[in-house]
Amino acid sequence: MKRIVLLLVLPALLTGFSGVQAQDAPAITLTLAAYTTPREVYVEVIPLFEEYWLQETGQRVEFQASYLGSGAQSRAVEGGFEADVVALSLERDVTRLVDAGLITHDWQSNPYNGMVSTSLAVLVVRPGNPKDVTDWGDLARDGVEVLTPDPATSGGAQWNVLATYGAAQRGYVDGYSADDEGAYNFLVDWLSHVAVLDPGARDSVITYSRGIGDVLITYENEYFAGIAAGDEYDIVYPTSTILIENPVAVVDAYADAHGVREAAEAFVAFLYSDQAQAVFADKGYRPPVLQAADEEEETAEPGGGALWEESALDPDRFPPVEDIFTVAYFGGWDQIGGDFFGDDGIYTRAIAEAQ
Amino acid sequence: MQNAARLEQEAVNAPRPQLDLSGWGLRGTAIVYLLVMIALPVFVVFSSGLQAGLSGFWDNVSHPHAVSALRVTLVTAAIMTVINVVMGTLTAYVLVTYRFPGKNVLDALIDLPFAIPTLVTGIMLVLLYGPQTALAGFLQDRFDVRVLYARPGIVLALLFICYPFVIRAVQPVLVQLDERQPEAAYTLGASGWYTFRRIVFPAIRPAMLSGGMLGFARALGEFGAIVIVAGNIPLRTQTAPVYIYGKVEAGNMPAASAVSVVLLGVALIVTLGVDWMQRSRQHG
Repeated sequence: MKRIVLLLVLPALLTGFSGVQAQDAPAITLTLAAYTTPREVYVEVIPLFEEYWLQETGQRVEFQASYLGSGAQSRAVEGGFEADVVALSLERDVTRLVDAGLITHDWQSNPYNGMVSTSLAVLVVRPGNPKDVTDWGDLARDGVEVLTPDPATSGGAQWNVLATYGAAQRGYVDGYSADDEGAYNFLVDWLSHVAVLDPGARDSVITYSRGIGDVLITYENEYFAGIAAGDEYDIVYPTSTILIENPVAVVDAYADAHGVREAAEAFVAFLYSDQAQAVFADKGYRPPVLQAADEEEETAEPGGGALWEESALDPDRFPPVEDIFTVAYFGGWDQIGGDFFGDDGIYTRAIAEAQ
Repeated sequence: MQNAARLEQEAVNAPRPQLDLSGWGLRGTAIVYLLVMIALPVFVVFSSGLQAGLSGFWDNVSHPHAVSALRVTLVTAAIMTVINVVMGTLTAYVLVTYRFPGKNVLDALIDLPFAIPTLVTGIMLVLLYGPQTALAGFLQDRFDVRVLYARPGIVLALLFICYPFVIRAVQPVLVQLDERQPEAAYTLGASGWYTFRRIVFPAIRPAMLSGGMLGFARALGEFGAIVIVAGNIPLRTQTAPVYIYGKVEAGNMPAASAVSVVLLGVALIVTLGVDWMQRSRQHG
């Protein structure tokens, strides 16, 4: 019996050793902890970086990528999941790692504030838009059933609440005064039309594709992901909406402990390269680097059509929106956490009043 | 003779200490295992829920969303339990009393809900009662009942998950029931219903109750199926486990633990009640 085991194990051991010897450059491993929706992006970007890194340094790099809801992923890393790089959906989930002492460098020091991809909160409707939904205001109309994920379980769902509240507060929702009171009333009115609060953004899309609800509030990139997956629905751009910004950062403590800081930093930098940003654009995100390039191009030489066409930011695919604001409009995530989603926050009161 | 008796006595005595040792070892292992696997996690939740003091605990538990979530959970679990006790007893009675083709297959099917991941249960119910299905359209048009994303959906999910509890509690009692008693009652002229009410029912009542209560306790914590079928709207269709999950996701552990303590407390009382009932049945 023992002999049989040895016979089985021996060749494996030998080939194992020879495998290591045959390799000129030792491989290093990078662990990426990402939220769920950009999986399609990283599946394509990671091989690009592996090739780039091999050419630059002669070193092979292997990836272990984990995809989980942003909040859960952030807490996992905080709790000891040793990821070298995190790609999360909200700044607040990175701030948690800064507070935990795991990220020690100024991760927002690049020109894009550490935000590797952006998107917009938009409306998705049934093909042909049977309920004639044209802007946020239609969410509060009689007979319109709305789907949005639960802000309590999905950090990403908080974008939707902020988008509608901000648009009303800034005077872009007809029938509501452009102030705190009007915005609050609008929030209450449309929340009373919500049929299902799914735990996550993807769950909401799945429920919608099962035929529940008239309008789904989601992100532009989720719309493109759904279309790519063969779902059929139309997109409606509101006049005013929030810019969704997704951060990426090196986790100093773990990258140093694993001795892979150089590669981890190179990977994060690579995500901002035109090559990687084009993948983001291809998957439906509005990549900040290409966007900035387009803006420069526009101001530098108006009508510089060639670059517009080459850039992935095709205005037919990513139409301009009249009014775009960011979380900074609400004073940043720290402020939003208490003001909107605390025990006595605006959303917490509104969802209670909506019932 | 005396000698032989003494030898026999010694032979019996000799291995005793060893037996005792292993007995203590077994007992110790079982107790430590119970402490580590069950008591410790329960204790941690209790201490975390009460960390902010009683007033903090009360604030967390008396939040309108928490109160409503607990109410939805308790009410749906109670409705499920009533249906489960009645239909479960009926099913067990039929399985024990009657012969019919396919009975063995049916009997095996009963345990299936224990083996199916509850997430799958949720998906099955969505496929069955989803808004595009004929069944949902019929219920909506004919009775104006919306099953999914409403409380009936929660009760249905719980019924599926807790299906075996009452049947599996009542069935063995019915099998063991002395057949002569009902037969005697019957030959003395008692009707079938009278026989059931006066002879069979008193014998199986403790099993019905303990099976129903165990199912109730199990239903309190159900998450996987409910998060899919309930709709999760606060103050309407959000259950306590889904509320707790939301609080955990939001990083509000004190609120999550406080509501968990309430659920644990109810479950503890219920299981203690079951235990007490089984004990009194043995003695009575």
